[in-house]
Amino acid sequence: MFERVKKGDDTTESPDTNRTESEKTFGSLRSKVTGRGGDVAVIGRSIQINGDLRGDEDLRIEGDVSGTVELRNSVLTIGKEGKVKAGVYAKAIAVDGETKGDLYATERVSVHVNARVQGNIIAPKVSIEEGAHFKGSIEMDPAAIEKALGKTTASSTVKSVAQKKAGNVADTKAEPKSTVKDASASVNPPAKTA
Amino acid sequence: MIASLRRASSRAPPVSPVAFHAPLFHDLVAGLDATERHVVLDLGAASTAMLALLGRSRCRVEIADLAHFGGIDQLNKTELGPAFANAADSILPKQLPGDAIDLVFCWDLPNYLTLNALSGLMNAIGQRARPGALAHALIYYSEHDMREHPGRLVPTEDGGLIDYSNTHAAIAAPRYSPEDLGKSMGRFVLDRARLLSNGMQEFLFRF
Repeated sequence: MFERVKKGDDTTESPDTNRTESEKTFGSLRSKVTGRGGDVAVIGRSIQINGDLRGDEDLRIEGDVSGTVELRNSVLTIGKEGKVKAGVYAKAIAVDGETKGDLYATERVSVHVNARVQGNIIAPKVSIEEGAHFKGSIEMDPAAIEKALGKTTASSTVKSVAQKKAGNVADTKAEPKSTVKDASASVNPPAKTA
Repeated sequence: MIASLRRASSRAPPVSPVAFHAPLFHDLVAGLDATERHVVLDLGAASTAMLALLGRSRCRVEIADLAHFGGIDQLNKTELGPAFANAADSILPKQLPGDAIDLVFCWDLPNYLTLNALSGLMNAIGQRARPGALAHALIYYSEHDMREHPGRLVPTEDGGLIDYSNTHAAIAAPRYSPEDLGKSMGRFVLDRARLLSNGMQEFLFRF
């Protein structure tokens, strides 16, 4: 669905002459980004999606997404231009833009400076940078996190099977097993003033 | 708008951004039982330091950030009654069934609310709180002025608080008395109070 782009070296858009018709049509979905540590699919800033997004690769959202986002084995980054109005399920979630909806991560949620997040966060590790804006709840009780993530995984599996039977799921992935060991928030204590 | 919230002439901030000791806050956080689950309502902005502090025990933290998300204006402009109850519900994070609030951190936000708005808000919070719940607040008391906007108060490693807000304009502080607060905290009653070195008064209320 999305173009894979290599992280780790600065890349630019490939020239139009090298693109297929399909690539031209979905060009905004295929803009290249750079980063470190592997391939990332990108939803460009001009793209609006209403519905369920599901996949098994890292994704960066710079456009508008409403509905549900499920990347259970992967990392989701909501970029500075990204606006997500959805329940989000991923291995790790990093927010630089705006989200409205609950964020579930089996490993970590990071809310960066100037991000705006409204909803609940359920993850073993949560960090919110000074200057980020957050309204909602953060579950820090390991037992409650495990219960919430377990329930989410189970209910989603049931939903996936039901949808598959109905024939409306094109890409069904194996559900990851949630493992929750550490429920402490990461610590970045503020600098002291004399 | 009540007279006590009128704009004062622009001048240097009445409270310089230095750490100050808040013993009631310190005792409150230090006394959290790490083996028990606590539900904490934070009316201020989220901070990593506060999350780290609360993360030492089994907490669910509900963050309202009244200042940034428009809650203060909304509460001050809404008359007490059903409309106020709706407004309070919309500005407070959704509650989990059976998860009653144990602790409320009001920070310096009561200074920016009218007594009516404060009363309505604490009544709404009281409906979500369990008996014995505690509410902590900081009130401008000695100084006549306060920052134009609520502070961004963050706990320090040594148990103090520091205000990271960068606003420089000042407004007149309402300087609510313990009697004013006693009548405006809903079913929360005054438990302890301390005058701090920075001129603020620290209050602990019990439900």
